[in-house]
Amino acid sequence: MTHSEIDPGMATVRDAMDDLPKSGSVNMDAAWTRLRARMHEASDRKRVRWTAMRTWSLPVAAGLVAVAAVLVITVAPIRAWAENLLSIFRVEHVAVLDISSGNLQGLEGDQVFNQAIARLISEEVTVTEAPQKPRVVADAATAAKMAGFDLHLIGGETPSVLTVRSAISAQMKLDRDRLQSIVDEAGRSDLRIPSSVDGAVIGLRLPAGVVAIYGNCGDEVARWKGMSNGPARDASCVNLSEMPSPSASAPSDLNPAELAQVALQFAGLSATEAANFTQTIDWTSTFVLPVLHGQSSYEKVSVKGNEAVLLRPKGPGNSAHFVLVWIDNGILYTLMGTGDDTTAVNLGEKIE
Amino acid sequence: MAMAANWVESEFEAVFREHFGRMVRITRRVLGSDAEAEEICSDTFLKLYRSGPGVAARGTVTAWLYRVATRASIDRLRQNQRRGVGEEIDPETGPEANDLQDPLIRLMRSERIAAVRSTLAKLKPEKAQLLLLRHSGLSYQEIADAMRMKAASVGTMLARAEAEFSTQYHGRQNANKRGTGLQMAKDPSD
Repeated sequence: MTHSEIDPGMATVRDAMDDLPKSGSVNMDAAWTRLRARMHEASDRKRVRWTAMRTWSLPVAAGLVAVAAVLVITVAPIRAWAENLLSIFRVEHVAVLDISSGNLQGLEGDQVFNQAIARLISEEVTVTEAPQKPRVVADAATAAKMAGFDLHLIGGETPSVLTVRSAISAQMKLDRDRLQSIVDEAGRSDLRIPSSVDGAVIGLRLPAGVVAIYGNCGDEVARWKGMSNGPARDASCVNLSEMPSPSASAPSDLNPAELAQVALQFAGLSATEAANFTQTIDWTSTFVLPVLHGQSSYEKVSVKGNEAVLLRPKGPGNSAHFVLVWIDNGILYTLMGTGDDTTAVNLGEKIE
Repeated sequence: MAMAANWVESEFEAVFREHFGRMVRITRRVLGSDAEAEEICSDTFLKLYRSGPGVAARGTVTAWLYRVATRASIDRLRQNQRRGVGEEIDPETGPEANDLQDPLIRLMRSERIAAVRSTLAKLKPEKAQLLLLRHSGLSYQEIADAMRMKAASVGTMLARAEAEFSTQYHGRQNANKRGTGLQMAKDPSD
């Protein structure tokens, strides 16, 4: 059977694709030698990388963390991961970004877009310090020793469970064309990824943290171990998470604000709104907490003299839940529980 | 500090020798030279090496390699198109060496390749990737694994990609014909 007897369209495609060149023979030995040299070079770089990351540390690219956060919450496949990650993004200040959910909801249902992002993450992100399973520990001293910082817990209360989460580190080489193609496919070809990002390697390290559980949170231990959903928690459940600030690394010529402006527009802000917001933020020291308009409410409060953000999810049965986020002396605290604003703030004030 | 586990070099070399040649042949179809295809495939193996042996342990290394390499080659194709980078055809080598000694045949072949690549570059990358994998001889199951989709969906997705390719390819050819006709009509020497 010839091509023309099958299906003209298929024949066109097959004939056309058959025109494409095929490689000659590959010299496998030579190719392996070249690759092997690059592998050894990569191993050498890996050994020295941490020194460089620690040197750059916090002053650079906290804005990148915020950019990542904005992007991360748009993508359903990594939302579960993001929910954990968002609670531990920490720098020196917290700011809220109110995002219209309309644009993001459209993206959430876009399978191609989601696959493209998931693929980008799986192919371009190299985890250099893999997360370990959270470990339940017996007491605060052990938790502090394992996590490597001084713990501050709710005074007068004894946690029912103390869990230590391991550090996570990853790096990603930015491919401008690939990022642009994803933006294009999301229907935002009006946005241009800055050419300066191409080839930039950004790194992020989230140090180990501690989660303290108070009250009846159901089978929280089982949930932490990923064994089951466990029985339901009740209104007495309080979850306090704390962790030192993360470090981020990026080339010195990469402008986080420039990239952030594109990310903000992608998240639904107009060019003017994005520009205005970008100007009000110190991208080297502020964690931008994205809040989906209509899905959560928020207000600024004060906890132990620090500016804090009190978030409440909207929806039936959720309005009594709160999430209180603040940074105190280089430690980011996330307090989750049930109760009114006073209850939330008072709990925060009791941390010592 | 817990670092990702490392490959045993002999095991990594075995994976390399099993897949590298085929990967180069596939990616070469949309890239301008053998060297460019080898570069893309080497980059893919370097990523695999840096990621540690976890991918192989999960039994997904073949799918991972073809997914990453073909995606990278499609991304490079789009980049090349934007930059106007064309095909390198070496008349001294390759299976078409004799044909390519004829300048006219060489020119026509270059134009056909350019048309196919231009069309692929205009498709969504996933569709171009699907066509590249299928028309490089991968089975539906291999494509499903590489593209992380259900095997039952491959046929439908492929049909859509082929239909879109066909439409765009014909559209381009018709536009070229119209353009040529217009040029001829305006040529004062005629």
